[in-house]
Amino acid sequence: MSAQVGQEIPELVKDPTTRQLVQYAGAQGDFYEIHYDQAYAKSVGLPGVILHGLLKAAFLGQLVTDWLGDRGMLKSFEVSYRGVDAPGHPYRCRGRVTRVDGREVELEVWGEDEEGKRTTVGTATVQMGA
Amino acid sequence: MITSAEAIDRLKTRIGVDGPEVTAPVEAGHVRRFVEAIGDPNPRWTKEVPPTFLVALAPGSLHLSDAEEYGKGWLNGGNRFEYFAPVMIGDQVTSKGRVIDVYDKAGSSGNMLFIIFQTEYTNQRGELVAKVRGTMIRR
Repeated sequence: MSAQVGQEIPELVKDPTTRQLVQYAGAQGDFYEIHYDQAYAKSVGLPGVILHGLLKAAFLGQLVTDWLGDRGMLKSFEVSYRGVDAPGHPYRCRGRVTRVDGREVELEVWGEDEEGKRTTVGTATVQMGA
Repeated sequence: MITSAEAIDRLKTRIGVDGPEVTAPVEAGHVRRFVEAIGDPNPRWTKEVPPTFLVALAPGSLHLSDAEEYGKGWLNGGNRFEYFAPVMIGDQVTSKGRVIDVYDKAGSSGNMLFIIFQTEYTNQRGELVAKVRGTMIRR
C-alpha cells in the first residue's frame, strides 16, 4: 500500500458507557473518582463523570493500528486532551496522512464529540515494512 | 496548611530525580482485561500489547501527593509514547519514572500547576522498549 498525503484513514466510532469507564479504571489501575462517581465529579466542577484521557488515547491507538495492520510498526504516538467527554455519547476517531518520507508516514489523528469538536488531537508516526 | 508556592518548591526538588524501579510481568489476563476495557478486539493483542497498555503496568509509581496541596483536581494534559521494540505477553517490564518539569501558569479559569513526567520501560533483556511522557495538571 502507498500512503498519500491528505488521505483520510477509515474512521472508528466508539460508544463509551459509564460501565466502560469502570472497566477501564480497573484495567489501568486509575481510580480517580471523576471517572465513576457523579457526585465527586460535580464537586470538582465537572458536568459529571468524564472519559479518562488515556481511554481516548487508546481509542486513537486502535484507529491507527486497525489502519496499519501488519504493514508496519508504530514508532511514536502523541495526544493532547483539549476537552472533556461524557459517557453515553458517540466518540468519533479520525485520522489523515500528513507526511510521507520514504517508509516513514506521519498521521494527524483526532477524536471528536457529537458536535464535531476535536476534544483530543494528536499525531502518530509509523514505519512501513520493506 | 502549606502554601502553593511551598508545594511547587517541594515538587521542583524532584525534577530529574529517578523514582523507584518497578518490575512487573506482562500477564495475559491483564492484557485481556485491558483490551476488553478499551473495546479493541484485534487478535494481535493476544500476543503483543496495544499502544497504550504500558501505562497500566505500574500505575502510580510516581507519588505526586505534594501536588495535591495545589488546586482541587487533576487533569491529564496529554501523553506521548515512543516505541523502540514490541512488548509481548510474558515479558518482564521494568519501569522507571521521573519528573521532568514543574511549573505553574495563570489560565482563564485560575492558576494551573503543570507536572511533566517521563517513564522509561525496559524488558527482561535490558532493551529499552518504550518511553512515555505525560503532562498532569492540577487546577
